[in-house]
Amino acid sequence: MKLRVLVDPDLCIGAASCVTIMPETFQMNGENKAFVLDHGKEPGGSSYERWIEVSDAEKETVILAAQSCPTLAVFIFDEAGVQLYPEL
Amino acid sequence: MRLVIIGGGIAGVTAAEEVRKLDSDAEITILSEEFHPLYSRVLLPHFIKGKVSRERVFLKKPEWYSEKNIDWQPGVVVKSIDTNNKFVHTSEEREIEYDKLLIVTGCDVRTIGEDGSNVSYWRTLDDTDHLLKLIASNPAKATVFGGGFMACEYVNAFAHHGVSTSVLTRGPWFWSKILSKESGTLINAHLAARGVDVTPNATEPTVMDDNTIFGIGIGIHPELSLMRDAGIEVNEGVKTNEYLETNVPDVYAAGDVAEFMDVTAGRQRVVGNYMNAQMQGRAVAKIICGEKVRFELVSSYATNALGLEIIFIGDTDRNAADSVEVQGSAREGAVSERFFRGGKLVGAVLINKNLERKVITDEIRGS
Ligand SMILES: Cc1cc2nc3c(=O)[nH]c(=O)nc-3n(C[C@H](O)[C@H](O)[C@H](O)COP(=O)(O)OP(=O)(O)OC[C@H]3O[C@@H](n4cnc5c(N)ncnc54)[C@H](O)[C@@H]3O)c2cc1C
Ligand code: SF4
Repeated sequence: MKLRVLVDPDLCIGAASCVTIMPETFQMNGENKAFVLDHGKEPGGSSYERWIEVSDAEKETVILAAQSCPTLAVFIFDEAGVQLYPEL
Repeated sequence: MRLVIIGGGIAGVTAAEEVRKLDSDAEITILSEEFHPLYSRVLLPHFIKGKVSRERVFLKKPEWYSEKNIDWQPGVVVKSIDTNNKFVHTSEEREIEYDKLLIVTGCDVRTIGEDGSNVSYWRTLDDTDHLLKLIASNPAKATVFGGGFMACEYVNAFAHHGVSTSVLTRGPWFWSKILSKESGTLINAHLAARGVDVTPNATEPTVMDDNTIFGIGIGIHPELSLMRDAGIEVNEGVKTNEYLETNVPDVYAAGDVAEFMDVTAGRQRVVGNYMNAQMQGRAVAKIICGEKVRFELVSSYATNALGLEIIFIGDTDRNAADSVEVQGSAREGAVSERFFRGGKLVGAVLINKNLERKVITDEIRGS
């Protein structure tokens, strides 16, 4: 399945919890904000937002990474556009 | 298994959530002095600045606890622990028995001698509501007392609201038990250039009712008498091994209150940051459920002083280091400090050197 993973740089404080949990999806940039990778790669250059193809296990980990963010700066949407995290 | 958790912060609630995933039959009780469901303390500065609404600071809704079959008792304080007969005594004069006990009581703020309605401390959501009221009352200025994380948060919050601010640090510069003079000079110069003067080696301010807000950020300390009286070994925090086990069987500690064996630093130490509290909550849940995996994490605390990024990684206690290597300078606008012990890198502070973070974290972790 595909998920849209987005970091709001205005909310991100660079705590790096997301990076600790899922380094292949999140890394820190020079502004000390997390950006989003697709399995360690950055097709189209660095971005705070991307669609990524994930397995069930990867989906669970990416949601865990989002849950770990102390400022709720990581947003996850499914293919239908439903916000999976943070829960509304 | 009856699990009793003392403290409903991020460490306690994460542990409860994880235990529930691993053991659907466990009887889980959270005794929590605060009345609110779990919220993120890290979001409180965002809330003060209006970046998020008040309801967005909550990480759990009140009904979440019952949905997960967790007995959450807000407003209940544990008064004593009987480790021989395995029960805790609460402020409501109840005795609650446990098979396993988790201590996640966090820290309290250090206070100054004087008090007044214009004095602010910053730990809880209620403190944040009070601070917002003070800011809304149109203060003439703000005085920040302290030179650590909360002092920085006060400076940022007051600047955001256009309140003229000065800082009194107790030491010669910000984080003077960690940072060298070079870093201290860089931070002070950065603040001064933005209209915030820092007075070093200051004594406690006299609290006067002259339309000034006093933001007190002189550190936090754990309340340990509850544990000491119960025969649980304490020092700077509740002592644990790398499995977050205390000296008393079936009693565990995690989060800001724990002085745990940090295998990445090679010594027992207290760590006061969100990542550590949350990951320890997760780890201790596994350990309580019988999956004995040792806790291992290089955690960090990233802060920012009026736009200057400061990142603390691993063990940055200057007194516990054999040597500290300082690179860069205040003039260059960027400084890094590396802390070594036993020939190994154990910690670092990066000021305006964000990109070195990954390499350093990997080196401390030994990967
Ligand atoms: C304003 C602010 C900003 C912060 N910003 C950052 C940041 O940017 N990055 C970062 O890494 N960290 C930050 N922190 C620190 C981070 O929030 C803490 O490290 C984390 O909350 C610790 O979690 P804990 O569960 O160990 O303890 P706590 O969150 O302190 O929870 C402990 C709970 O136990 C309760 N309790 C205590 N004694 C008893 C008792 N006897 N009976 C019942 N209940 C009891 C307390 O009332 C409290 O609710 C910030 C903290 C604050 C206050
Ligand atoms: S956990 Fe949140 S705040 Fe921390 S780096 Fe990731 S997105 Fe940013």
